[in-house]
Amino acid sequence: MAIIEETQLRATLLAVDEINQAGGVNGRELAPLIYDPQSDAQAYGQYAKRLMIDDGVTMIFGCYTSSSRKAVLPVIERLNGLLWYPTLYEGFEFSPNVIYTGAAPNQNSVALCSYLAETYGKRFYLVGSDYVYPRESNRVMRDLLRARGCTVVGEKYLDLRAKRGEFRPVMQQIKNVGADVIFSTVVGDSTVYLYQAFAEAGLDARIIPIGSLTTTESEVRAMGFDVAAGHVTAAPYFQSVPGDRNDSFVKRYKKRYGADEPTNMCAEAAYFQVHLFAKALALTQSMETDLIKQSVLGIDFEAPQGRVSINAATSHTDLWSRVGRVDRRGQFEIVQQSATSVWADPFLIGRGNLAAAPAHP
Amino acid sequence: MSEHGQNGSAASGPSRDTGAGDISALDIIVAVPPDQHGDMLARELSRTRGSVRRIWPLPERLPTSADVMFCELTPELAQCLPWVPGKPLAALVAVVNAIGAPQLKLLRDCAPHATLPRPFTGATVVTSLAVGRAQFLYEQRLRARIDKLDETLRSFRSVERAKGILMDKRRLDEEQAYHFIRRQAMSQRVSVAAVAAAIIDSNDILG
Repeated sequence: MAIIEETQLRATLLAVDEINQAGGVNGRELAPLIYDPQSDAQAYGQYAKRLMIDDGVTMIFGCYTSSSRKAVLPVIERLNGLLWYPTLYEGFEFSPNVIYTGAAPNQNSVALCSYLAETYGKRFYLVGSDYVYPRESNRVMRDLLRARGCTVVGEKYLDLRAKRGEFRPVMQQIKNVGADVIFSTVVGDSTVYLYQAFAEAGLDARIIPIGSLTTTESEVRAMGFDVAAGHVTAAPYFQSVPGDRNDSFVKRYKKRYGADEPTNMCAEAAYFQVHLFAKALALTQSMETDLIKQSVLGIDFEAPQGRVSINAATSHTDLWSRVGRVDRRGQFEIVQQSATSVWADPFLIGRGNLAAAPAHP
Repeated sequence: MSEHGQNGSAASGPSRDTGAGDISALDIIVAVPPDQHGDMLARELSRTRGSVRRIWPLPERLPTSADVMFCELTPELAQCLPWVPGKPLAALVAVVNAIGAPQLKLLRDCAPHATLPRPFTGATVVTSLAVGRAQFLYEQRLRARIDKLDETLRSFRSVERAKGILMDKRRLDEEQAYHFIRRQAMSQRVSVAAVAAAIIDSNDILG
């Protein structure tokens, strides 16, 4: 999982530095304490315990996979801490001890599903990593697909640490069943193998693209721009989002970490959530969970993706909904986006707003 | 109303009132210093027909195989517990001193289900055992309920859809359709959600 987790840490530290350079919060410096659980879910639980008990921390920023979030959950719920979770996830969760700043399914899956079905066809092949996020995410996806009259022509789960060779037979099967679209919930380092196997199998992204909610600029860079070109991702944020706010974020990120280092949706959420936290802290002047939570609900912020706000009803974030297609330079060309930020609906209660009429940019 | 005596040593124990739940014959770990207080605690717990295991000093990691653990509230205890806060594997009773500053931070960190202040009496020992055990079991039930609610929420749509398919294709009413799904789930030993998904899939394929 290192590809993305690393960028989330970097973006978090960038935001912390920005806040400190601007004089801190009410004159006090933010001092991050960093542990590396090495993508091991159990270690996430242990470090959460250590942060809250030994280090006296109440605010925890991080977690990429749903497994790591679920490991931290009981600890922060029992000890009443607050987890700031900057990653898209499968929805259907509401912990009073989490602020969710990544996309819920109604903010990314819905747009992806409609774009792919309208542009490429209705026969979907689902491929994912074998853990909680892909299976739950596909449960939602199946529902959305069916509502659009699409069919699932195959479904395959591979180990999170699947090797390159394991994706070859999957490509053969995709050819055999005659899919129009591949919907991928493969995450982490094996993402690269999926796209490379696709290219090696001689499949054409203009005809059968891989659609994903997790493949970002960072994975694109790792797999090679030519391999990624033509494939599709739905996300609240791409590096290519126009506007001064994003330009300055990208510029500062690259200045600090290197001109070749792209930003991505997870890094952006990791970045703006620290600013949201600082805004809340300036009001409460206390690190106590209940006070911070109270002041962060309903707050809004001019994020690189556009104006976002913490939805007081769900502790999720009202985010933008965008669909991007990878171009030859490894950037996402935005082919569809919402007219405003989309109300977070983690339980998919209002299917109406799923259709939050996508406007073309 | 009950037979509990005032200072309880004789009247409590196995003949507790039944409202507190069953606290006899439990596996109990006692991790307190082996002085006269510790001996007394172990003795009173044995009177509940529990099997009592004594451990001292606190090991790096306490064993997981017990129903109830009586542990001295020390700064090391949180680290020695074989679980992360929020996912306890046994009822935890924190043994504290009645005199001196209360250790509120340690109490928060260890998240015990009950406390037992020194000096003990037979009544306070059994009371803390009953409260600790009952709170632990209640917490487990609440967690199980939340898990089940979560799963129900996630599978709600597919179960509704599967019911619709059965009502349509098999001419069942809603309740019959749901019972059909539940019977299948029980006989195949899988979740209701899995059966619903299978019905929807086969309907998609067969039309």
